[in-house]
Amino acid sequence: MERTLANFIRALRNSEVRVSTAETLDAFNAVELVGYRDRRALKQALALVLPKTADEKEAFEVCFDQFFSFSDVSAERAANDDGLDDEGGEHAGGEGEGGGGGDAENQANAQRTPGQGKKKKNKQKSPTADLSSDDDEEDLGQGEMTDPTSELGQLLMGNSKVELSMAMAAAGEAANLRDIEVFTQKGLYTRKIMEEMGLGGLNREISDLRKSTPIPERRLGQELKRRRDWLREQIRDYVEKQFLLHADASGKRLREELLRKVKLSNVEHRSFRLIQEIVFRMAKKLASMHSRRKKVFKKGQINIPRTLRHNMAYDGAIFDLRWKSVKVDRPKVFAICDVSGSVANYARFMLMFLYSLEEVMPKVRSFAFSSDLAEVTELFERNDIESAISKTLRDYSGGSTDYGQAFQDFRKLCLDDVDQRTTIIILGDARNNYGDPRTDILKEMYDRCKRLIFLNPEPRNSWGAGDSEMRKYTAYTHQVEECNSLMHLERIVGNLLNTVR
Amino acid sequence: MAEQAVNIDELTKSVDTLKDALEAQRYICSDQIATAVYLAYHLNKPVLIEGPPGVGKTELAKTTAEMFALPLIRLQCYEGLDEAKAIYEWKYGKQLLYTQVLKETLDEVLQGAMGFAESVHRLHEFGDIFFSEEFLEPRPLLKALREEDGCVLLIDEVDKSDHEFESLLLEMLSDFQVSIPEIGTVKAVRTPPMVFLTSNNTREISDALKRRCLHLYIPFPDVDLEQRIIHARVPEIPPELRRQLVSFIQELRELDLKKVPAISETIDWARTLLLLHSESLDPQLVRDTLNVILKFQEDIENVDAEITTLTSKVLK
Repeated sequence: MERTLANFIRALRNSEVRVSTAETLDAFNAVELVGYRDRRALKQALALVLPKTADEKEAFEVCFDQFFSFSDVSAERAANDDGLDDEGGEHAGGEGEGGGGGDAENQANAQRTPGQGKKKKNKQKSPTADLSSDDDEEDLGQGEMTDPTSELGQLLMGNSKVELSMAMAAAGEAANLRDIEVFTQKGLYTRKIMEEMGLGGLNREISDLRKSTPIPERRLGQELKRRRDWLREQIRDYVEKQFLLHADASGKRLREELLRKVKLSNVEHRSFRLIQEIVFRMAKKLASMHSRRKKVFKKGQINIPRTLRHNMAYDGAIFDLRWKSVKVDRPKVFAICDVSGSVANYARFMLMFLYSLEEVMPKVRSFAFSSDLAEVTELFERNDIESAISKTLRDYSGGSTDYGQAFQDFRKLCLDDVDQRTTIIILGDARNNYGDPRTDILKEMYDRCKRLIFLNPEPRNSWGAGDSEMRKYTAYTHQVEECNSLMHLERIVGNLLNTVR
Repeated sequence: MAEQAVNIDELTKSVDTLKDALEAQRYICSDQIATAVYLAYHLNKPVLIEGPPGVGKTELAKTTAEMFALPLIRLQCYEGLDEAKAIYEWKYGKQLLYTQVLKETLDEVLQGAMGFAESVHRLHEFGDIFFSEEFLEPRPLLKALREEDGCVLLIDEVDKSDHEFESLLLEMLSDFQVSIPEIGTVKAVRTPPMVFLTSNNTREISDALKRRCLHLYIPFPDVDLEQRIIHARVPEIPPELRRQLVSFIQELRELDLKKVPAISETIDWARTLLLLHSESLDPQLVRDTLNVILKFQEDIENVDAEITTLTSKVLK
C-alpha cells in the first residue's frame, strides 16, 4: 500500500501540487492513523496534509478521485463480469494499484458486458479503431466457437488475465511508454503497444473469420473483435495512467520553457493562461527575493526596551539610542505603455508583471496611450488583472500612435508627481508616424525622475529605421532595453527591483 | 489529573467521537474539521486554518481548548509584531537594579583578590545570573511551551504579521522549541501545545510555514450544516424561522457583495430576530435588520432592491 501512496503523491506532483518530502512523511503518518479502509476519511486526512492552497486543494480533489476511483471500479467489475475483466486491477500491478483515468475506466466498464454478446462501441473513445462498424454486426447467438489461431487471439480467448497483463506490460516496455511526453502521443503509444502485442495477426484473423461461412467461425470472429476492442480500451487506460504518472508535468515544463523564450507578440491566445501562470510565478519569485529589505530609521520613536538593554553594558547610562520604526523601502513606478496594435501584447504582459508584484511594489501607476494618454491605475485597482488589461486594450488601443501627444498629456497629468524616487518605464516601439517626438518633454521627465527606462520590443537593429524615433529618445533615458520575451521581462523587472532602491 | 488524561484519550479515539465532543461544546463542524483536530492531536502538528472571516476559525481553537480542558494561550498578530512581544523579553528594569546591587557588593566579592587576573576569575565564579530565567519575561509562545500539561496555542491572523515573524515561528512549529541566544533552547516541558494558526489570506503565507502545518480550509457551510449551527447556538429560535433565515443568507452569499455574511452574522441575525419576537421573515423585517448581516452601506443598498424577491423565494 505504501507504494500506492507514493504513486499518488507522484501523480499529485504532476498535477502541480507541490509536495515536499516532509509532507510525504506526514501523509504516511496520517494514513497510518486513518487507514485505507474508509475512502472518505482517507481523502479528508490527505487533503489536510498534502495540498496547501485553494488551487492545490482543487487539483487534489480531481487527482484523488481519478486515482482512487480505480479500486472501486475493479471490485464492482469483479462482481458482475467474467474473469477476463478483472484485468484492470491487475495490469497496473507493476506500478502499484494506482493510476489515473478513472473516468475512462468507468465508461469502459459501462460499455463492456461480456457474455451477452451485445455491445455498443463508442467511436470517440477509440479513434484508432479501424474496423469498428456496428452495422454489419449480425446476431449469431450463443454457441460453440472454433479456436483462434493467432497468438494474440489465443491470449485473448484464453481468459488468463495474468498472461495478458504481462504481455501488455512487456509491450509497453518495448514501445518505450515511459518516454511519453505530451498528451497527443497517447494514441500513438496505444497503437504501438497494440502492434507490439500482435494486432496485425489478429486483424487478419478476424477479417478471415468473418468472411468464412461456418457459424462457429463467424461467432469466433465476432467475439475476437469484441475482445480486441476491449483490449484497446484497456491499453488506452494503461497508457493514460502511465501518462498521468510520468509525462504530464514534463510536457508542461517543455511548453513553459518554450513560452519563456518565444516573442510575446507571437504567443497564441490559448497560451495566455499558461503565460499568466508563468508571470505570476516569476513575479512571486522576484517578490520574495526583494520583499525583505528594510531600512532602520534614524529618527522617530525610541524603542525603550531595546535601548535600555543595549545600554546595559554602559552601566545603564543611555547614550546609544535604538529606534522603533523600520522603513520598508519600496520603489515608486510609473509605467507608460503604448497599447496600439503593434505593441499591445507586450503591454499586456508587462502590466501583468508589474501588478503581480504588488506585494513589493505597491505604488505602480500605469498609463496607456496610443494617441491620447490616460491613467489606468484605477482600472487595475477595481478589477482583476486580466479584465483590467483587456479593458485598457479595448479603450485605448484605437488611434494612430502619437508619442508627442502622449508625452504632452503625461506632463499635464502628473509630471508633478514624478520625484527622485520614481522610476518611469516606457514601453513602446517609438514609431511615431513621423510626428513631433517632443523629446523636450522626455528630457523634463528624465531630469526629474530617478530612472527612466525605455523598453522596445523591436530588435535593436531596426531602431531608428523608418519612423522610429528610438535614436532621439535614447539620449534622454537612463537605460534602453530590447524586450520581447518573458525572459527579458523577468530580467528587467529584477534589475528594476535591485537598482530602484 | 489522571482522570482528565483518560478523558482526552477517549475523546480522540476516532474522528467521530471528536466530532461529537465538539458538538457537545456547541461547535457544529464538518468531518473535515474534525479530521483536522484528530490529526493535529495524534500527529502533533500545528493546524493552519484558512477561510473567509467569520466562519469559526478562531472559535475552533477556543472550543478545542474547552473540550480538552486545556488553557488557551492566544497570540494576536499584527504588523510589527516581533520576538520581544511573541516569545520573550528581558525584565530590563530588574536587570538595571541588579547591576546596581552588584556594584555595591563588588567590593565584598573582590576582597583580597590579588591582581586583575584573579579579580576577573572571581567575578566569573560569582555566577552570571544577569541573563537567566529569573530576568526572563515569557511572552505567549514561551508560555505555551512551559505549560506542564499542554495547552492550546492560538496564533491568530498570522497573515497580518510580517515575513520575518513567520520565520520566527518555524522553529516553534516544527520542533516545539524556541532558542534564546543568552540561555539556550527551551523545549516544550512535557506535552507539546496544540497549535492553531488562523489566516484570512490577506497575503500568501510562506511555503516553509505551510509545509510544517496541516492545512485546513473552512468554507461557508451548506444549508444543513448552517441550520444545525444555528440550532446549536440559538436553540430558542423556531425551526421554520431558522430554515428561512438560513436560506436567505445562503441566497445572499450568491450575490456579488463586498462582504458576504458569514456564520457569525447568521448567528447575530438569529439572535436579533429572536429578540424581536419574529415568527417569520417578511420584507419589512429584513429591511429593518439588514444592517446586522451586511456591514457596508453599498451592500445594503444593493440588496435593498432585491429584498422582496429574495424573501418570497425563501418563504416558499
